[in-house]
Amino acid sequence: MVKDKATVVVVGGGATGVGILRDLSMRGIDALLIEKLDMVNGASSRYHGLLHSGARYAVRDQEAAKECIEENTILRRIGKSCVEAISGMFVQVEGDDPDFVDPWVKGCAESGIKTRELSKEEAWSLEPNLSRKLVRAFEVPDGAIDGFRMSWQNVQSAVRYGGRYKTYTELIKINIESGAVKSITVRDNVTKEEYDIECEILVNAAGPWAGKVAQMAGLDCSVSPSKGTLIAFNQRISNRVVNRLRKPSNGDIFVPHGSITILGTSSITIPDPEDTSTSWEEVEELMKTGEGVFEHLRDYRILRVFAGSRPLYVPKGADGGRNASRGFVTLDHEKEDGLKGMMTICGGKFTTYRLMAEKFCDVLAPKLGNTAKCRTAEEDLVPAVSEADKKAARQYFPSYGVNLAATRLGTEKFPEVVKTLKENPETREVLCECENVTMAEVMRIAQEPTSHSVADVRRRTRLGMGTCQGNYCAIRSAAIANKLFKDKLEGCGDSLSDMKNFLQARWKGITPVMAGKTLREAEMTRGMYEVLFNVNGGRR
Amino acid sequence: MELEERARDSADNCIACTSCVAVCPVTKANPDYRGPKLVGPAHNRMHFSDESDYEDSLKLCSNCKNCDITCPNGVSVATLNMLERAKYYKAHPEKHTQADQMLSHNFQMADMLKSIPFGRTCANIGMSIGEAMGMMGAMGIAPQRKSPRFATKYFREMYKEIKQPEGLTKEVLFFPGCFIDVNDPEVGVAFVKVMNANGYKVLMDDRFKCCGSPLVVGGYLDEARSHADNNVAIINEYAAKNIPVIACCTSCSLMLKAEYTELFAQEEMAQAAKNVYDAFEFLTILAEKGELKKVHVSSDKKFIYHAPCHLRAQGMGMPAVDLLKEIGVNIDSADAGCCGMSGSYGFHKENYETSMKIGSELFDKINASGAHKVVCDCGTCREQIKHGTNAKTTHPIQVLAKAYEQ
Repeated sequence: MVKDKATVVVVGGGATGVGILRDLSMRGIDALLIEKLDMVNGASSRYHGLLHSGARYAVRDQEAAKECIEENTILRRIGKSCVEAISGMFVQVEGDDPDFVDPWVKGCAESGIKTRELSKEEAWSLEPNLSRKLVRAFEVPDGAIDGFRMSWQNVQSAVRYGGRYKTYTELIKINIESGAVKSITVRDNVTKEEYDIECEILVNAAGPWAGKVAQMAGLDCSVSPSKGTLIAFNQRISNRVVNRLRKPSNGDIFVPHGSITILGTSSITIPDPEDTSTSWEEVEELMKTGEGVFEHLRDYRILRVFAGSRPLYVPKGADGGRNASRGFVTLDHEKEDGLKGMMTICGGKFTTYRLMAEKFCDVLAPKLGNTAKCRTAEEDLVPAVSEADKKAARQYFPSYGVNLAATRLGTEKFPEVVKTLKENPETREVLCECENVTMAEVMRIAQEPTSHSVADVRRRTRLGMGTCQGNYCAIRSAAIANKLFKDKLEGCGDSLSDMKNFLQARWKGITPVMAGKTLREAEMTRGMYEVLFNVNGGRR
Repeated sequence: MELEERARDSADNCIACTSCVAVCPVTKANPDYRGPKLVGPAHNRMHFSDESDYEDSLKLCSNCKNCDITCPNGVSVATLNMLERAKYYKAHPEKHTQADQMLSHNFQMADMLKSIPFGRTCANIGMSIGEAMGMMGAMGIAPQRKSPRFATKYFREMYKEIKQPEGLTKEVLFFPGCFIDVNDPEVGVAFVKVMNANGYKVLMDDRFKCCGSPLVVGGYLDEARSHADNNVAIINEYAAKNIPVIACCTSCSLMLKAEYTELFAQEEMAQAAKNVYDAFEFLTILAEKGELKKVHVSSDKKFIYHAPCHLRAQGMGMPAVDLLKEIGVNIDSADAGCCGMSGSYGFHKENYETSMKIGSELFDKINASGAHKVVCDCGTCREQIKHGTNAKTTHPIQVLAKAYEQ
């Protein structure tokens, strides 16, 4: 049954998909994005959160390096509510190849990336935790970017131009008539309802799942999912991104990201992009390398470990893994395979998501007779909450809470939350004490039509992502979920199961690193939920 | 290297178990305080988000250290709070009140009055007039309280007049601390008697400065650092000569033993800490070696003991009450938590109500005990007990000195 139609349907709610949705919407093209789970569930949130300066690619791939520095500059300008405008450092430590430095400095200069060599003393005074085995250090314009906020802000921008989106909506069939895509069949993963959406062009932006989507149309698109494992530490170990100055390898990059630091990553070719498992061995490998940069790394508390898969495009006959291109490819299946009305975008990097969307839509738009120019670099993703509004709201927020809430909520929802906090002082309670999230904010996000579980709220607020990994906020938010999700819980059961799912997902990231301080925390969780609350009902 | 790690990792060790909130006397008495976990380790991770912000209820922390005592993971919660408070006042020195200035710098006032003829007598009369006319409140000091009076002779002056027995071969260096020196010098006199009776000559060193505890809680961290450096150098000088340093004030000894290192993370501070003892800790060590002078008290006059929080934070039990019991003194511990004073905390006008509320359990126990005197190692605890119960108070070293006189 046809229930909906759109000129373009974009499959995949990651950085690539949301970038295309925004680009098309700004060109005036009617576009609808579908995502099988919650927005930003795949690689776009399971990565470093690094806004590349391009310096990492300066030796091997100058084209990528140039793209990175250009996009880095653009995103710092248009993405003030999702970019942490910090800088970065490339450090060489004893034992690293000294001959790598000169070509790297030259490569950066040729790519337009500003570098400045720091004396060892200067580097240590800027980042006191850096190894005493430091040999050379350079400053570069690396930054941090929040995948969750960036993606939602692209969606919000698209919505202002008429773009639409549906989460928990999974593509299950591509309907082709006489050599052209006519419609798709989707399943609503909350209500389990199946229906058709008509479209003129189907865009496959499913990242590491792109191969699977292509298969539904009987096409072959060689995507090699490459798993990257990352470690999240409980605090900021540095205030700058720190890269190892050597040939890119595993465990080279530390990104301070909000209240935490992320170290990564590995690169393992895997058959199934759903595989986000991690192991102690992967963690050990990352830690061993990471210790080269921060020698006391093992004293820092690990919060959790997580993995995502990069959507690396492998041209026929080439290898996957770290040697596969970080560049992207646009496949027009009409040209390549004789199938009208379907295009695939594959590969690429988070940092260049906007440029990828621009180049892709430059090919797509003319097919619909649209000649509008790309304007995504000209306008801010979302308007920022004014300093005056933030200042006025301070009295209602917990300390250190306003800035983060304002960039998460944006100009539309922030005043609503402030109003709730003002009128109902009970909602000023800090529901997540580790990440400083108020009850009012959780309630507001829970009311979004896209929120079906506490995990959905987590991705938009950072609820449960700090020190205690959900110990206290799980039980507190379950009470709220029971009230607010009542009509929407069909997809995920009752609020007790939702709470257990939420904790189980936290547990997944803790299990491979259960030692030391992390183990103490886990034991407390177990004591609280299994013993005190008996959530498993006494069953083993 | 080990030191750096301890300081760096303190907040990282927090597992958010919330035990500190459960035992925090301030949180219990004043719901405006957000509690040690949130204000300490939790906020520590969030400072990055807004350099200009600060936690308003940070000023309500009394630095009583009950959070540190209870923490199962060794987080120096109160010290994190004090470091944060110092950062705030460094950026906003204008926010210091007159009471902050006065209560943190009592040692300056004490030195100044000493240099003026009849300075102390006049100051005491002035205080009486000020209190009677309700002028203390205007300065931010709780008008209900009677400020401790200046002794007409400080301990450092009395010490010079004490004739210690000839021929004592063993030596200890006394760290009197401000309260004993300028407000309650008889405690120092009793200490000298006890040490002499045990074969120790008591030395004094005029270069010692205030331990810095009142400076830390007032947010004057740089000044506290200069006091710490000064005192630590002296302690280590004596350590090299195998002369231990002994304090009778448990807040001073906590500062010298633990807080310097927690706050400033210097190797020489950790070194100095090993050479510092609380008086009854030292006497207990003597007793264990069989070197303590034997005495037995036959009087059954009843005492009640209050253990200062800063004694409990030293993690060595309650040596004073144990030792006094051992020699036959009829004494029991009140076991009633914090008295609410916490150094200068309860003297601040805005903390008065909280301070008295915290102390109420102790006051009730003392009033119901029928004891003729309250024994406590801490000078400001004794001030609070006098204020809250009208009971007579004494330092345990005075009880022991009296026992030796029999």
